[in-house]
Amino acid sequence: MTEKQKITIRKQKVVKDHTKRKMIIFGALAVGVVLTAVFAPYLVPYDPYEQDLGSALLPPGGAHLLGTDRYGRDMLSRVIMGSRSTVFSALLLVLVITGIGSTVGIICGFHGGKLDSFLMRLSDVFLAFPGMVFAIAVASVMRGGIMNAVVALACISWPKYARIARSQVLTIKSTPYMAAAKLSGSGTLQMIFKHIVPNIAGTVVVTAVLDIGTMIMEIAGLSFLGLGATPPTAEWGSMMSNGRSMLQTSPWVILAPGTTIFLTVMIFNLAGDTVRDILDPRQRGR
Amino acid sequence: MKKKSIWKTICVSLLAVTMGAGLLAGCGSGTSAPAEDAADGTQAAGNDSHETTAAEGEKVFYFGDTTFNAENDESDVNPHNGYSGWACIRYGIGETLFKYSDAMEAEPWLATEYTNVDETTWEITLRDGVAFTSGRALDAQAVKECLDHLTEVHERAAGDLKIHEITADGQKLTIRTEVPVPALINYLAEPYGCIIDMEAGITDDGNVTGTGPYRATLVETDKGLTLVKNENYWDGMPHLDTIYVQTISDGDTMTMAMQSGELDGAYGLPYASLLLFESAPYTISSCETSRSFFGAMNYETEALQDAGVRRAIAGAIDKEGFTRVLMNGNGSPAVGPFPASFAYGDDTVTAQPFDPEASRALLAEAGWTDTDGDGYVDRNGQKLTLRWLTYPSRQELPLLAESAQATMKEIGIDLQVICTANHLDFIDSGDWDIYASAFVTAPTGDPEFFFTTHCLDASSKNRGNYHSDELETLEEQMSRTFDAEERAELATRMTQALLNDNSFVFASHLRMSMVSGEGVTGLVAHPCDYYEITADLDKN
Repeated sequence: MTEKQKITIRKQKVVKDHTKRKMIIFGALAVGVVLTAVFAPYLVPYDPYEQDLGSALLPPGGAHLLGTDRYGRDMLSRVIMGSRSTVFSALLLVLVITGIGSTVGIICGFHGGKLDSFLMRLSDVFLAFPGMVFAIAVASVMRGGIMNAVVALACISWPKYARIARSQVLTIKSTPYMAAAKLSGSGTLQMIFKHIVPNIAGTVVVTAVLDIGTMIMEIAGLSFLGLGATPPTAEWGSMMSNGRSMLQTSPWVILAPGTTIFLTVMIFNLAGDTVRDILDPRQRGR
Repeated sequence: MKKKSIWKTICVSLLAVTMGAGLLAGCGSGTSAPAEDAADGTQAAGNDSHETTAAEGEKVFYFGDTTFNAENDESDVNPHNGYSGWACIRYGIGETLFKYSDAMEAEPWLATEYTNVDETTWEITLRDGVAFTSGRALDAQAVKECLDHLTEVHERAAGDLKIHEITADGQKLTIRTEVPVPALINYLAEPYGCIIDMEAGITDDGNVTGTGPYRATLVETDKGLTLVKNENYWDGMPHLDTIYVQTISDGDTMTMAMQSGELDGAYGLPYASLLLFESAPYTISSCETSRSFFGAMNYETEALQDAGVRRAIAGAIDKEGFTRVLMNGNGSPAVGPFPASFAYGDDTVTAQPFDPEASRALLAEAGWTDTDGDGYVDRNGQKLTLRWLTYPSRQELPLLAESAQATMKEIGIDLQVICTANHLDFIDSGDWDIYASAFVTAPTGDPEFFFTTHCLDASSKNRGNYHSDELETLEEQMSRTFDAEERAELATRMTQALLNDNSFVFASHLRMSMVSGEGVTGLVAHPCDYYEITADLDKN
């Protein structure tokens, strides 16, 4: 072996790990959005529901930073207030479907047998329909309203979590440490909460965080179709829908909520990506 | 390594550019795609023939309309079916014995004159030289067959006309009514009065044979119509060879179709879009109509049985703001059911003016005050909450609802808006307090119609169970009065009685607009909203 061969020069540059910094930035932004929603009533410059037909459709600038809508309501105030209905319902929705879905998944995976078959066939039924179409059908049967939109979306979204949780549980169930736990006399609940839940939490949380953006989009979508928030509630989707006919004449009416949806969804998606990078390093860079 | 990252940058930039281009291209075609979707096969077929026939010098016209659909009770062009008569007359297929002038007075059309022999007998002379598109000449026998069939199958027409017997003799038609029907001639000018050839019959798809400048060759519910020129039209040669009427229910889609030049004319564009067509090459033809937007109070609701509360509500509707801002000035603030252009219109009556201050005082007088400081008035611990029922298919109604919600809040009434296409279910169940709707109050140019449909004990659309002795008495007089001036006088008194009770709140009268594209002439809006496509329509 020659001297030259012995020395290996590492040519590849060490890629700096930005995950932490990204997490701080996007995490802060996401928290910022949530805080905006929480403190919306104190942040709005005007009453978002106060009509003033005399100052209808004012372009952005001056007293109204994002302009006014056709009722003369301040767009900025409405966008800020709208974060309440949209973001809160999306968070609630994700919480609900994660809870229900994972519980069903864990039960199925752990218990197996007929109950497993039944619940999984049930989830197959929900998965068999195109998601949004099914949500529209459910929401219109329930006659609109933002809570009904959440229920409609929850109906179609829980099976995904049930599937993820179930497959994870099945993998974990066959590991030696589970056998060991069983042999050492652990009860069902103990096994579930001590060994299973902590091990599947990462995957479920990553999926949930990544879903927040999607859910914001879907809630706004249903409201856009008139199946979510009802007037005069400030909600981004219904605000876009109301401004639809003014896209060419007063574009700010639709651009303000539209851009907000875009930014918020992006923030939550990027935050979700970073959470995944931290909790599940194998997936990094994918 | 450096090289690699440069490639990476280039690739990413290229991807971004491609996506950007795709986005723009998507937007570009997006303008036309919805219209094509809406018009479906008709549009495709239309464009094909456009290309081939243009070379032969044929004139083809594309007309976009929001109303030709089953939802509007206009599923075909058979005037004896629901409100389809509107389609029959609007698109130049059928014509009526009498038509409305710009002042909404009935004047001869397929008829040349009439005499009122006695209270129940009318002699009508028909025009010579008129033929159906089937080739059959128009004579009294043909008209009799048509009207006989109409009164047999069309409940509304039978109720209006109250025909006892029709006799035909050459071009002379004699109609005897069961009771005096002073407005008979006006009713005959209603779209259901389109004269169609019953020998040629009504096809399965609802097509009919009329005397108009165009005949329909294809009738597709919710999609549209294909019309071709009637070569033998009695009142001059129509200018266009083929007209494609396309149902585009979404106003924004129609706006874009109009902008991209896919349509030559359009009816029912959203107000916000009209601004886009104010300058050349487009022209807008507008006209005040008797289509009114109004709210009816539910007398079953306890709070609304109080005259003071009703008056307070009437004074809390910002009609001026609604018309000027929310309707973009496409209408006029209403006082009563009829626009000022009518002899018995808004200039002759008075209503509670918009005055939140006065309304608050009225509520206080009725015992409704804000005792708990939540911004809403209450009485005996009960908050004054009212349900405002309306429907979205008329774009103005949701706007009116939201505007009313804000102004009512000012006087302390919590207004809950129910805006749904199932509004009739709510009406049936009685789960409403104020019902806002749009209605053509004088479709026949005669005032009696509105009162008989909405305000009397026997009225089918008296949804709030309103009753007024004064109105019943006046209507009894109206039904026996033939003189137009006396009828106008009675109508004024009836309207005032209605307004004094505040059983109805009239918000606005619609100004109807039609937009014509480049080179289009003869598309003129008419106060009664019945005449759209006529022999005058041309495109150069």
